[in-house]
Amino acid sequence: MPGIHPVALWIAAAIAVGLAVIPLMLLLLEKTFKLGDKLQVELWMRYKSWLILAPLLVVPLLAGRLWAILSVGILSLLCYREFARATGLFRHRTISAIVALGIVLLTFAVADNWYDFFVALTSLCVSALVIAALLADEPKGYIQRVGLGVFAFLVFGVCLGHFGYFANEERGQAFLLAIMFCVELNDIFAFCTGKLFGRRKLAPKTSPNKTIAGAVGALILTTALFATLMHFIAAGTRIDRPIHLITLGMLLSFTGQCGDLVMSSVKRDLGIKDLGTLLPGHGGLLDRFDSLIFVGPAVLHYLSYFGGISLETPTRIFTGP
Amino acid sequence: MDAWKYKPAADQHLPPGDAMRSVRREAGLVSTLTQTAWRAVVRLYLGGYHRLRVEGKENIPAKPPFVMIANHSSHLDALTLATALPWRLRRFAFPIAAGDVFFQTPASTWFSAMMLNALPMWRKQCGSHAMQELRDRLIGESAIYILFPEGTRTRDGKMGPFKPGLGMIVAACDVPVVPCHLDGAFAACPPGTKFPRPAPLRLRIGRPLTFAGVENRREGWKKIGAQLESVVRALGAESQP
Repeated sequence: MPGIHPVALWIAAAIAVGLAVIPLMLLLLEKTFKLGDKLQVELWMRYKSWLILAPLLVVPLLAGRLWAILSVGILSLLCYREFARATGLFRHRTISAIVALGIVLLTFAVADNWYDFFVALTSLCVSALVIAALLADEPKGYIQRVGLGVFAFLVFGVCLGHFGYFANEERGQAFLLAIMFCVELNDIFAFCTGKLFGRRKLAPKTSPNKTIAGAVGALILTTALFATLMHFIAAGTRIDRPIHLITLGMLLSFTGQCGDLVMSSVKRDLGIKDLGTLLPGHGGLLDRFDSLIFVGPAVLHYLSYFGGISLETPTRIFTGP
Repeated sequence: MDAWKYKPAADQHLPPGDAMRSVRREAGLVSTLTQTAWRAVVRLYLGGYHRLRVEGKENIPAKPPFVMIANHSSHLDALTLATALPWRLRRFAFPIAAGDVFFQTPASTWFSAMMLNALPMWRKQCGSHAMQELRDRLIGESAIYILFPEGTRTRDGKMGPFKPGLGMIVAACDVPVVPCHLDGAFAACPPGTKFPRPAPLRLRIGRPLTFAGVENRREGWKKIGAQLESVVRALGAESQP
């Protein structure tokens, strides 16, 4: 992969500056407004988690193709682990093992840039899950076990796995960093505009703190930001036209917010507050990266369809003839 | 259509370190793999280096829950008892280990949880609440506990008196207790040993006993402790040549 794309460097620098400035902003906030001890503690905890998380995300992305793909694979496995422990699916070891193996194979397919295999794994793994669940010879709960396994494989394996595919593209690092950056800011934009203008609830039963104003605000701000970044990343390609840039931005913001709502629904259904405990202040990895899950497929296939990136070359890096 | 019923992991809400120290810890894929690998290694080691012989395997109940107890003279004891279980039962086995030894540092906690599958018993504060949690898990989840009612390893090679704590787990219920006697462990690896000596180990497994008729109160616990102590002593006397 030739060098690091300048936009990728800008974003990495922006993240570094952001992490340096946030403590000052937090101190200022504490001085200016009465923030309440609980909120204050939580904000600092979140900041500390980001301080560890941000380098863990950015460094592999900048380190190169395989590192980026590997870290997406690990993220998928960890997200699956949280989901399996929250639903109780982890007690069904055969199903759990197949989902985990499926995610490993998906990661391999991405690393090999073998899209046919990636696609084939969807039907193969679903078949394997449906068949392996027969082994217990226990029809009671069969649909639930299989259903949870298939859901987990498709969401945390296939959907999240699309991210790795960006790394195979020439401007992959820049794409990945821009998406990651915008998705996280999308959450923050929604939070801020919601706090400023929000009155009507978006989905009170699913996620009582989200407002329509927050969703619309995030849609506008994120679209502007992502369109701008993509303009620089995709300069000179067929994607670099206002209609595509704006559509991509809206796709990212919309699917990002949907991911958030999906995991909120999962949590409400399970009756638990957080899906994990790995990140103090945030909850689990899934509580943080839920909004990333559905962005990958939407943006990747849009880019692929309109010619921004190609899924065809170079393919089968390890297994090819 | 009725809603599905979910049962999250009992330690799902705990931060990673606390989850490993919890008596409600549940093994996932990774720990199942590490524990299986560890058991295979231990089996080879005990069979090869210590020429472990096990008598009375037929006394092991066909399915959990049950409790295995024995005299305690070395760190090999819990490994030996776990090894004596047939393969299909091994993943249900939880050695009950001293929290202040096995769950003190992050590294030892990781080893105890991921390799040994041990559950901590905090000797200084093992109140009735902690015992109740262990009892609930044993019965509710069909587990196998491996524990040493002396409460500590013998320092002189002679078996000490049994503490009544075990009674709190098995009194007034149908869970069988399998008494065992392990011979040779003190010669192989007494407290303070760095490298075990290749002394032979011999494990005798006695007939299981249940205490459904014994009251779950202090007097009952003492009675259980005394009865099991004499059974284990008798097993030990039998195994003397």
